[in-house]
Amino acid sequence: MIEARNVTVSIGRKTIVADADFEAPPGSLVAIVGPNGSGKSTFMRALTGDLPFAGAISINGHDLRNAKPWQLAAMRAVLPQSTVLSFPFTVREVVKLGLVGGRSGALAGEQERLPERALAKVDLDGFAGRFYQELSGGEQQRVQLARVLCQVWSPVLEGQPRYLFLDEPISSLDIKHQLVIMRIAREYAARGGGVVAILHDLNLAAMFADRMVVMHRGRIAAAGIPREVVSDRLLSHVFECDMRVGVPPPTGTPFVLPQTAS
Amino acid sequence: MTDNAAAVPAAWSRARPAEGDRSGRARMAIAILVALLAITAVISLGHGASDASVWGVVGDLLARGAGEESTMSLRDRVIVYDIRMPRTILGILIGAALAVSGAVMQGLFRNPLADPGIIGVSSGASLGAVSVIVLGGTALAPFTAIFGVFALPVAAFVGGLAITLVLYRVSTRSGRTSVATMLLAGIALGALAMALTGVLVFMADDRQLRDLTFWTLGSLAGATWPKIGAAGSVIVAALAVAPFIARGLNALSLGEATAHHLGIPVQRLKGVAIVAVAAAVGAAVAVSGGIGFVGIVVPHLLRLLIGPDNRYLLPASALLGASLLLLADAVSRTIVAPAELPIGIVTAVVGAPFFLWILLRRRGLLDL
Repeated sequence: MIEARNVTVSIGRKTIVADADFEAPPGSLVAIVGPNGSGKSTFMRALTGDLPFAGAISINGHDLRNAKPWQLAAMRAVLPQSTVLSFPFTVREVVKLGLVGGRSGALAGEQERLPERALAKVDLDGFAGRFYQELSGGEQQRVQLARVLCQVWSPVLEGQPRYLFLDEPISSLDIKHQLVIMRIAREYAARGGGVVAILHDLNLAAMFADRMVVMHRGRIAAAGIPREVVSDRLLSHVFECDMRVGVPPPTGTPFVLPQTAS
Repeated sequence: MTDNAAAVPAAWSRARPAEGDRSGRARMAIAILVALLAITAVISLGHGASDASVWGVVGDLLARGAGEESTMSLRDRVIVYDIRMPRTILGILIGAALAVSGAVMQGLFRNPLADPGIIGVSSGASLGAVSVIVLGGTALAPFTAIFGVFALPVAAFVGGLAITLVLYRVSTRSGRTSVATMLLAGIALGALAMALTGVLVFMADDRQLRDLTFWTLGSLAGATWPKIGAAGSVIVAALAVAPFIARGLNALSLGEATAHHLGIPVQRLKGVAIVAVAAAVGAAVAVSGGIGFVGIVVPHLLRLLIGPDNRYLLPASALLGASLLLLADAVSRTIVAPAELPIGIVTAVVGAPFFLWILLRRRGLLDL
């Protein structure tokens, strides 16, 4: 379980996130949504131990402030929005960096082929020998996800659930690969791990997430299951444009349409 | 996959490297570089203005190894073991120190153009050393009295470290180092150190000026056993750190935040790397002056060959740096024999165009 209580994050004198309460239980996919500048990424950077904060954050009961980098690395992996490499690494070498901490949780026999297996998962079979810098933005994003998956390969290690933090994991991907990535996240949660993802696509968030957290001006405006959170009034207010939410009968998954005419 | 391929014994398929895995090639390259260093060391011992030859040296080394009487003349033996050998060993130490320092700095700054010479560490070390040369008899007399032969390397180390620490203070906010600020501040501090060095040069008398000129251009000519003891111990200690930071530097190439996510104690890694580089560069500058471009050329060539994995890049840099410096020294000793050209001129003539070539080939590198 990841728990945040009364978390406030300031950069310089500016308060970016204020009094945020947040929970991400193992076995579930939590989507953080909100307009640009609402504090989503800053909040996630506090949760991953990258920014100083006021309040309390714990991961599996361990106080985030007291955890050493290697202890954190065994409990969670983080996919950043984008990663620029200044040296000519091959795709395999990049993915293998996920194994630096040595706590992938894969069986001893699996370890050597883990980069290939992770690449196959993100639909990059046969890319191991290519140079990272020569790939497209979307392919690079998927290579990084493969690296992240290697770091916490088994969703549960020694009885402790592990977590994936994904900062806009599908923003530079085509529809097919958006679905591939979201299914990987779903499956990770289904096998006992936890996933926290910042998403811009409200429909994909509603479709895949167990819980949605809506951020607005540095505060958490709403949190709950998608059907509760996704409403005309809340979304129109938060995103400052007119939105209509429909709920088609077979799935019950809400979908959102902006009303562009008005 | 066909049935035949499936029937290949497991040991075979494991021997074939996985696609994109260059570690086998890197190990092979390191083995070749060890052989190259052995060859260049023998050439360095057997090469010079005097006529003690390569084969004479090989024969003598073999005879000594077998416990036999040497056929070499006493004069040649003095030249080889008391003049050339300290110089060869110093060349190996300096070449390794400069190349590894360059590779570590580049890993730290995530930029293949970073180099102790560029961010002002060498200028700081020079200022320290020049202070001792010019003021050693007057204002700094107590300092030279305390440290004796170690005065020059200690002063250079202090100068290099001082610049590095100021840089670190200037460019680090709430525990994060900004690479762009560090590079630019390094240029400013380097210029300041050079200006202060200029003041000292202005104050120097004729004899000191000649010392300074030779020293500024860079040379291995001053190699003596005591100097090797002083500088060598510092360099070896600094290089011994490399295996422990290689994995961390690899992770750092994905950015500081990601290195932290992977479990690397980033601030400690940077601190250790910076002190090691300041020590190695300080010691190298103190004994051999400003020998430029080794730190850029060597790691860059090796990255093209074996890739940027620091677990292989750092030892390979040490080996190739040592070999190239020995070759440059052999050239500098013989090209205008019996006089000799300062080695810094040789490395600059080869290195500066190479540096420009990297810049032109990959213009995007300085965008941070």
